[in-house]
Amino acid sequence: MASNAAAPFWRAAGMTYISYSNICASLVRGCLKEPHKTEALTREKVHFSFTQWKSGKPEKPSIISDTVE
Amino acid sequence: MFSAVRNRMKSVKNIQKITKAMKMVAASKLRSAQVRTENSRGLWQPFAALLGDSPSVDVKKNVIITISSDKGLCGGINSTSVKFSKALHKITSGPDKETKYVIVGEKGKVQLVRHSKKDIELTIAEVQKNPLNYTQVAVIADHILKNVEYDALRIVFNKFRSVVQFIPTVTTVLSPEIVERESESGGKLGDLDSYETEGAETKGEILQNLAEFQFSCVLYSAALENACSELGARMSAMDSSSRNAGQMLDRLTLTYNRTRQASITTELIEIISGASALTG
Repeated sequence: MASNAAAPFWRAAGMTYISYSNICASLVRGCLKEPHKTEALTREKVHFSFTQWKSGKPEKPSIISDTVE
Repeated sequence: MFSAVRNRMKSVKNIQKITKAMKMVAASKLRSAQVRTENSRGLWQPFAALLGDSPSVDVKKNVIITISSDKGLCGGINSTSVKFSKALHKITSGPDKETKYVIVGEKGKVQLVRHSKKDIELTIAEVQKNPLNYTQVAVIADHILKNVEYDALRIVFNKFRSVVQFIPTVTTVLSPEIVERESESGGKLGDLDSYETEGAETKGEILQNLAEFQFSCVLYSAALENACSELGARMSAMDSSSRNAGQMLDRLTLTYNRTRQASITTELIEIISGASALTG
């Protein structure tokens, strides 16, 4: 089983199970045929802003978005 | 006096138009959000069946994830989730324990900054620019997991029951270590050993994967439920404000007509008394 061998590798690369499964999901979406492909691609749009707080003060927000690409 | 009332009538009418339009928009958005929410329930229900929910678990590092909306004008749903988070903070904090907030949405942040500035760890906004999808929420969950140390994540959100009913809900996601500890002490989590797992991985590894995936799924459904509640609350808030505007308009029309009538009557009296003064 390939997944058995692969499992420690993505963990060692600092990925969580979530990002691992997301990469797998986007690969599967990439395998779809055309009318369904564009529809499926709209389901993987990511956009949000993310702010870390240190002792009661917000730091500079970073915007995580893939709409530019 | 005359034109003042007329101006107010005009502005009230315009506001009523706006609130009516907002209600329509919320209603049409709600329908699609509701379908997606109902579909998403299949994602977390297996987890609830497998791991159960343990809101009473007693751990050192608590993280409260408050889910709120970015926009206002949606009744009291943001206040309810903030109130719940604060109560939860009070319950879970203790001498050698620490409780932190992770806030999703602008409105919850604004309310929590006032009193609990020091306990805020992360804030996330602009989540609903595109319609919510699993990938996005999973990326958010990933960011939260990487930036926060936790033993238990407690997600506070408004569960959507109907257009007028929202139930503030807390879902608890435990870290893999805690799941292991709880499963040894028995209870619902003790049944975990009776499941057969594939592969040669250790139990800890499986639990870690499971806990991470559970978190993203639960967060997804929580975000959807809350978005649904937001739209429902906005719909009913806008409905009642259009109704109020209508009532106000009725009252204003009444005063308007009355003053108009009064001025006509005075004019008539003046004319008649003038005419009778000439003849008499």
